[in-house]
Amino acid sequence: MSAFLQATVYGLLQGGLLALVAVGFSLVWGVMNVVNLAHGAFVILGAYIGWGMHQEFGLDPFLGMFVSAAVLFALGYVTQRLLINLVVNGPIFITLLLTFGLELVMVQGMNLAFSADFRSIETSYAGESLALGSVRVPVGRLLAFALAVAITFLLVALVTRTRTGMSIMATGMDRGAARLMGIRARHVYALTFGIATALAGMAGAMIGTVGTFSPAAAGSFTLMSFVVAVLGGLGNMYGALAGGLVIGLVQAWGGQYLPGTWVNALAFLVLIIVLVVRPTGLVGKAFYAARLEV
Amino acid sequence: MTTSTQVPQQGVTGAMHRDQAMRLLPWMVGVLAVLGALALQSQLFLGQQRTVAAIFMFVSLAQAWNLIGGFTGYACFGQVVFFGIGGYFTAIAISHWHLSFWVSLLLSGVVAALFATLIGLPLLRLKGHYFAIATLGVAEGMREVVTNLPDLTGGGAGITIPTVGPDATTAYLGNEGFYVLFLALAALSVLVGGLVARSKFGYALRAIHQDEDAAAAVGINTTRMKVLAFALSGFITGLVGATYAFQQVTIFPQRLFDVNITVLMVIMVVIGGSGTVLGPLLGAVTLQFLSEFLRQNFTDLHIFILGAIIIVAVILLPQGAVNYVREARRTGEFSLLANVRKYRL
Repeated sequence: MSAFLQATVYGLLQGGLLALVAVGFSLVWGVMNVVNLAHGAFVILGAYIGWGMHQEFGLDPFLGMFVSAAVLFALGYVTQRLLINLVVNGPIFITLLLTFGLELVMVQGMNLAFSADFRSIETSYAGESLALGSVRVPVGRLLAFALAVAITFLLVALVTRTRTGMSIMATGMDRGAARLMGIRARHVYALTFGIATALAGMAGAMIGTVGTFSPAAAGSFTLMSFVVAVLGGLGNMYGALAGGLVIGLVQAWGGQYLPGTWVNALAFLVLIIVLVVRPTGLVGKAFYAARLEV
Repeated sequence: MTTSTQVPQQGVTGAMHRDQAMRLLPWMVGVLAVLGALALQSQLFLGQQRTVAAIFMFVSLAQAWNLIGGFTGYACFGQVVFFGIGGYFTAIAISHWHLSFWVSLLLSGVVAALFATLIGLPLLRLKGHYFAIATLGVAEGMREVVTNLPDLTGGGAGITIPTVGPDATTAYLGNEGFYVLFLALAALSVLVGGLVARSKFGYALRAIHQDEDAAAAVGINTTRMKVLAFALSGFITGLVGATYAFQQVTIFPQRLFDVNITVLMVIMVVIGGSGTVLGPLLGAVTLQFLSEFLRQNFTDLHIFILGAIIIVAVILLPQGAVNYVREARRTGEFSLLANVRKYRL
C-alpha cells in the first residue's frame, strides 16, 4: 500500500510537470493547427539556459527559469514570425517538416554548444524530501509541481481574461473573422508561439532541477507533449493539466507494477485508444472536434 | 502497360504514334536506369556500393510512403513500424524458425501488409494530424513491445541473424548482392508507383486525397481503397526492412523503429513532389546523396546543415520539385517567391 501511495504521489508530481511541458504545445496546435515537432528542443534549450544561469551567476533555477522564459519567448516570437508564418497555410506535412528541420538544427546546435553529456541543475534543497507518513515527497519536485500548476492556471487566466488572450482565442476559432475585427493574425500567431516556447523554457528549467537532461531527450519531450495534448483535448489548457496528471499516474503505476520497460509502451497505448475511441480528448469540446475534418 | 499491346483500329496518325511513344518513354527510361545502375556497380568500390545501396533503399521507402502519404494524402508518421516489423520478422524467422532468407523476405512483406490492414481499419478513420500522431504512437509503442520481448527479439541487446556456420540458412549476400537486391526493390517500388499512378486505383486514391466525401459520393469504397493503399505501402516497406535487417546482421529496436527513418521518407517525398512517381525517386536520390556528402565532409555539422536545408526547401518548394516544374511550365510562373506567397499568412 505504501508503495502504491508513493507511486501515486510521484506520478501526480511528475504529471504536473508534464502538463507544463505540454500546455504550450497544445496551445499552438489548437490555435494555429501547427504540430510543433521542435517543442521538445525548446524545453531542452530552456533547461540549458537555467543551467547556464546557475553555473555562471549562481542564479537559483526557480529564478533562472524566468530568464529561460524571456529568452525563449523572444526566440519563439521570431521563429513564428520569420519561419512558420511563411508556411502556416500549407498542408500538414509542410509545417511538420519545417518544425522537424528546426528540431534538427536546435538539437544539433545544442549538441555542439553544450556537448551530448547529461546535465542537471544542482541545488541544495532539490534532493531533500518531506515525510508524509510513510510517503516521501521530494522538495524540488513539489516546488516544480506547484509552480507548473500555478503557471497553467495563469495561462488560462491570460487567455480568457485579457484582450491579448481573447485575440488569441478568436484567431484560433476563426482567423478570417478575427482579422476582420482588426486583429493582426501574424502578430497573434507569433505571440502564441512565443508564449508556448516561454512555457516550454520554464518547464525545461524545472526538469533540469529535478532530473537530468541532454539534447537527445528533446524527441521524447515532444512525444510526451503529443500524448498529453491529445489525451487532454487540443488547445484546452485544463485538458493539458488533466492529461499530464493522467499520464504521470499511468507511468508511475506502470513503472511500479509492470516488468521491464513495458511502462514505456503504456503511454502510446493510452494515446492510440484515446484517438480511436474519443478523439476529442478527456475534456475536449465539440468545437475542437471540427478540427478532425480539417 | 496495356498501351503497348493496343492496336489502334483505324486512322493511325503520326500524332497517335507520338502519343504512344510518350507513354512508353517512362518505362524505357526506367529499364535503362536499372541497366545503368547494374553497369555502374562494376565501377564502384565495395564501400561505395554500400552507399549507393542505401540510396536505392530510400528510393523504395520513399515510393512506399508516397502511396499512403502522397497519393492518398494520409500523413503516416509511423511508417517505420513496417520497416521494423519486416526486419524483426526476418531476423526471427531465420534465427528461430530456420527459414531461408528468401522465404522470410516474402513473409515479412506479407506480415507487414497484414499489420497495416489491422491498424489501418481503425486508424484510417482519423484525419490530418490525428492520423499522423496515431501512427507515430503505433511505431513508438511497437518499438517498446519489441524491446520487452527479449526471448523472441533479443530485447534492447538486439538480435543477430546467423550468416555463417550451420545455423545460416542463406549465405550472406555481401555488398555486391545487397546492391542488386536493393536495386531490385527500388525498381519494384517505382514500378508499383507507376502502375498505381495510371490505374483506376490510383485515381481513387487521388480522389480521396482531394475530397474524401466527394470520392465516397461517386461510389468509391474509400475505406477499402485507403486500407489497400496502406497495406501495399506496408508490404513494400516490410520487404525493405527485411533486406536491411539481413544486410545489418545484428539489429536493434532503436535503429529498426527509428522515427528519423519515417521523417526521411516524408522529407524525400515532399521535397521531390508528393503524389508523383518521379518526385519520391528524385527526392530520395538527392537527399540521400546530399546527406552522405555532408556526413563525409562536415562530420559535426552534417545534421545541422541538413536541418537548415530542410527548412529552406520546405519554405521555397512546399509542393515539391516535380510539382513545381509542372505548375511553372503550365502557368509560366517560375518565381520561387510566388511559391512562398501561396502558403504564407
